[in-house]
Amino acid sequence: MSTQRGAMNLMKAQRLIRVCVIGAVGAVLAACAPSAPPTQSNAAGSSPSDTLTVATTTDVVNLNPLLGNSRTDDWVTDLMYPRLLTVSANGSKEPYLATKWGYSADGKTGFFDLRNDFTWSDGQKLTATDVAYTINTIKTQNPKGNVVSGFMSNLGKATAVSPTRVELQLNKPDSIVVPEIGFWMTVVPEHIFSKQAKIDDFANASDWVSAGPYRLSSIAKGQSYTLDRVEPYPMAPNGKPTLAKVVFKVYPDVNTEILALKKGDVDVIANALPPAQVKDLKATSGISVAEVPGLGFTHMTYNMKRKPMDNVLVRQALAHAVDYNSIRAVAVQGQAVTANNSPITDSLKEFADPTLKEYTFDPQKSKALLAQAGVSNLKLTMIYSLQDPVISAWSSMVKDSAAQAGITIDLKGMDRNTYLAKTVAGDYDIYAGSFAIMDEPVSNMALQYLPDGAINYSQVNDPQLTSLIEQAQSTIDKGKQKSLVQQAAGYVNKNMIDNIMYVQNLNVAYSSKWDGFITKPSELLSIIDPASLANIHQK
Amino acid sequence: MSIMLADLETEPVGQQESAAGATWYAFRHNPMGLVALGLMLVLVLVGLAAPLIVHYPSGFTSDVLQSPSSLHWFGTDNLGRDIMAEVVWGTRISMTVGFCASLLAVTFGVLIGMLGAYFPRADTALGMVVDLSLSLPVLPLMILVAALAGPSLGTIILVISFFSWPEVARVVRSQALSVVNLPYMDAARVLGGRHRWILRRHLLPAVAPVITVTVVLTASRAVIAEAGLSFLGMGDPSSWSWGRILYESQQSGSMTSAWWTTLFPSAAILLLVVAATLIAIAYNDARNPRSRED
Repeated sequence: MSTQRGAMNLMKAQRLIRVCVIGAVGAVLAACAPSAPPTQSNAAGSSPSDTLTVATTTDVVNLNPLLGNSRTDDWVTDLMYPRLLTVSANGSKEPYLATKWGYSADGKTGFFDLRNDFTWSDGQKLTATDVAYTINTIKTQNPKGNVVSGFMSNLGKATAVSPTRVELQLNKPDSIVVPEIGFWMTVVPEHIFSKQAKIDDFANASDWVSAGPYRLSSIAKGQSYTLDRVEPYPMAPNGKPTLAKVVFKVYPDVNTEILALKKGDVDVIANALPPAQVKDLKATSGISVAEVPGLGFTHMTYNMKRKPMDNVLVRQALAHAVDYNSIRAVAVQGQAVTANNSPITDSLKEFADPTLKEYTFDPQKSKALLAQAGVSNLKLTMIYSLQDPVISAWSSMVKDSAAQAGITIDLKGMDRNTYLAKTVAGDYDIYAGSFAIMDEPVSNMALQYLPDGAINYSQVNDPQLTSLIEQAQSTIDKGKQKSLVQQAAGYVNKNMIDNIMYVQNLNVAYSSKWDGFITKPSELLSIIDPASLANIHQK
Repeated sequence: MSIMLADLETEPVGQQESAAGATWYAFRHNPMGLVALGLMLVLVLVGLAAPLIVHYPSGFTSDVLQSPSSLHWFGTDNLGRDIMAEVVWGTRISMTVGFCASLLAVTFGVLIGMLGAYFPRADTALGMVVDLSLSLPVLPLMILVAALAGPSLGTIILVISFFSWPEVARVVRSQALSVVNLPYMDAARVLGGRHRWILRRHLLPAVAPVITVTVVLTASRAVIAEAGLSFLGMGDPSSWSWGRILYESQQSGSMTSAWWTTLFPSAAILLLVVAATLIAIAYNDARNPRSRED
């Protein structure tokens, strides 16, 4: 009898436990706002006054700056390997390692004159030999994922003609080689990297040598990356970067980053904030928000290799079926300006054409254009990366506004790798994405609209457009180049070859106890550019 | 023989009614079960009557991330859409996924489980398949398959059911094993009953209570799986589900600043899972004469 009662009690207890477990699971779901990972070295969220902790949501993929990188790789390696040039908020190039740059009179030789006060952290001088080695290695080995090689089609070779001058032999005049190599390429130490026969195989995973303000000292894969101060760094006050350490910490998502910043576990959130969070963080005590000028753009391209998008009327109809103002006002929370459907946005003031206008949101006109094209019941798929929260947010707005014009858009948000694979294969009707930095009008248009362009997501092959871009590419006459660029941009706008929707100004958050940040355009440079982190200090 | 089989198909109706009646009697005298059943019915009604309750959440408004108010009972999301509308319409999709995925998983699982128990020769092979399937890392595989197949409602249902049937098969097999050697099964075989007939008329009714419980639990697990996949961005971006609401909250960084974007869909998931589990427990107790007596 007592055994039976015990069994019944056990059953009741099991039932109670089950209900409790369900309740606990529910409570976890209900409170599914994530918590920040524990701090490793800093107790109670406090950090020494000369250590800056930077939050990021992407882990480091590799530490060889010559290979294709994630955003965090760039942030870390930029603090160790200098670029020849940097970029200002309006897209113009500014000196960094190079003091002067340009072309010979016949346009067949490019050059960089270098500073002579940069030294690698192992004591070796940084000279033109390192620069020439880096350029020639990229040219000859075409490292995996390296974007600079795309600008080198007309480059013969680079030669260090003196310790402070590098000359680039060009097969024919090409106005994009010097500025694009200057900005996009990071210089690596020849005496370290040349030991590797094949640069693709070099992980650069230890014994780092730096000519930047900081040098990687330890890594905890997937968790944190610590850099120590390097002296002397010629661009820091008295040659001494202001921070003793910079620590990059990897967080699972932006929600945990925000929690960590509010708690004081991190000092800076490196990646751009979701637009809807800017207002809230601006109002949070102890947190400051810096606006980072946008130098890229967000766009949709219509696959011109597929019918009926090869018809200009259909593309124009699609462009008229987008509610641009609402997207900028709601999804981007007013933190974006129109791009006037032009690849040369107002950010590039020197080249922008003020006469170009944005297509109006007009579903009736869109319907009329489709009717004129003889197209009915238009059904298209749109791909976008789920890792882009802003595009993910407005994708449904595009679908809804297109529906008003009788166009059905099937949304295909996908993980980044699948998205990139489909993009490379041209497997989409509509592609939605964004470029972080479009700094050089001619090279950008060459990459986007020449038939073999690396980012020709419109799949365009238009002889008239190709001719305009190739002419602009082959001249170093600024006036002529501007005229050709503007004609090409107007052609893109008129024929809706690329639906460039807006330029977004990004926002990054940091602890108000820090001061002295230098703001550079785009998420790539932002407020954690070497020039900025070599100079910041606590208030 | 056919006449004899036809006679055998005639069951003592009164006796069956009394068993069902006794179960229902015990069930409705269990407050926990009745409350859970009521909750489930409310959720089903909300799902069915969604168009009568609120408009489909689409478009956008300027009321971005507004906290709950008389205008928006559950607040608004990052595009100013009403979260109550999203939860109500999400009920429909989440329950559809749960029901369809559960139906597929249970159908396949019951078939495999019964065949394994009834045909000893096939049991080893089927058991290995079930064990192998149970040992797979389900969530990563679900993510992989959903990512490869592309996000859609059909994909989600198929993916969830594909990874849910082995548990059903194991439970059904163990129940069926305790039945296949009982005298009435031997009698059916001796009378010359075909395998299909025996499986359908004798074995299936014997495992039916387990199936009923399994259907409910598998459906609730399917809803959680759908929410998980949608939360990871593998859901259908064209239709609202509870997981998609959570996903959009996470994507927009609203989790830390707008609690209402996560609380209400999470509460809906919680309600469904608790209701399903309690129904299953109450039904099981009602079927069990010993606990019924208690």
